[in-house]
Amino acid sequence: MTPELSTHLSEEAIDDVLIGLGSPESDAHLAACSHCRGQLEQFRSEMNLFNQASLAWSKAKSATILRAAPRPKARPALPAPAGWVLAAAALLAIGLPVWNHAHRSPAGDASDYASTYAPAPASPAGDSEAQIAEDNDLLRSVNAALNSNEVSPISEYHLSDGPHPRHPARPELRNR
Amino acid sequence: MVERARPISELDDIDALVRTYRPRLLRFVAYSTGDPDLAETIVQDTLLRAYNGRERFRGECSVATWLTGIAIHVLRDHQRTERYRFWKKVKSTAIDVHEMASFIPADGSSPEVQLLAKEKVKHLAQVLETLSQNQRTIFLMRFSEEMPVADIGKVLGMQIPTVRTHLHRALKAVRSQLGAKI
Repeated sequence: MTPELSTHLSEEAIDDVLIGLGSPESDAHLAACSHCRGQLEQFRSEMNLFNQASLAWSKAKSATILRAAPRPKARPALPAPAGWVLAAAALLAIGLPVWNHAHRSPAGDASDYASTYAPAPASPAGDSEAQIAEDNDLLRSVNAALNSNEVSPISEYHLSDGPHPRHPARPELRNR
Repeated sequence: MVERARPISELDDIDALVRTYRPRLLRFVAYSTGDPDLAETIVQDTLLRAYNGRERFRGECSVATWLTGIAIHVLRDHQRTERYRFWKKVKSTAIDVHEMASFIPADGSSPEVQLLAKEKVKHLAQVLETLSQNQRTIFLMRFSEEMPVADIGKVLGMQIPTVRTHLHRALKAVRSQLGAKI
């Protein structure tokens, strides 16, 4: 245990040590004086508590902030000349059709109209009169087959189109 | 072959930059200004400026010191604006020292010791609020950010004796207000 010294460091000297500007004399005194050492340790201990708490507070604040940090570009940007070439190509691709549309001749209009609204071309050579007649015969035979197999509900249940015998038509209606 | 002027560092990864340095910067600016909302803005701007200007970092000091210097400049720029003065009059937030003190890490000590520690932290935070902004900023740089006096002088553009004077005044005020003249 170090003996207690009768004289102690001045406040300015202790501040100097805390600031990090202590002299060899003050260092020698601190090595021998537990009282002065205790003053330094108490201040450092309180600052340490403050630093721990304030940093934990700040970390908690940072964790709750949802603002996205600015990120660098995901892919390298094109060099400036390449960008200009692409922009010019896009402009031509959009601008030329628009210009053509605005400046086309009346003849062009007629041809456009003809190509757009002209009737469909004639049937191809394969659809001859004979072929059409053959197709019609096939359709008729299909219809006949379907009609012969399907029993009419009227004939199946012996119904008639006339008035029902139990509900004769009312005379006043019939007379009208 | 083009020689790279600066080696790849943590400054090239903005996610790592934010993750590593944001909490310390936020603490410094929040307690330096006493306004946590303003601190958010300043820190955001600081990190963005640091990332955009990372080519200018020459490694003469630590990244933390460099960022602190940028934060000081951003803060000064901000405080010069009319908009800042207007909003400071209309609305400024204050740090809730009770909330902050509750963040003391539980180190297994007794509830009484925890309570005493919490009171000490609250008291110190309140004492810091009584300092001038210059004194508080320099005090925090030295005792929270643990920056050497020479670095503080460089960052603030102050002579070392001026920094020492501010530190002495701040220390005197803090130690006297903390009560038993620690």
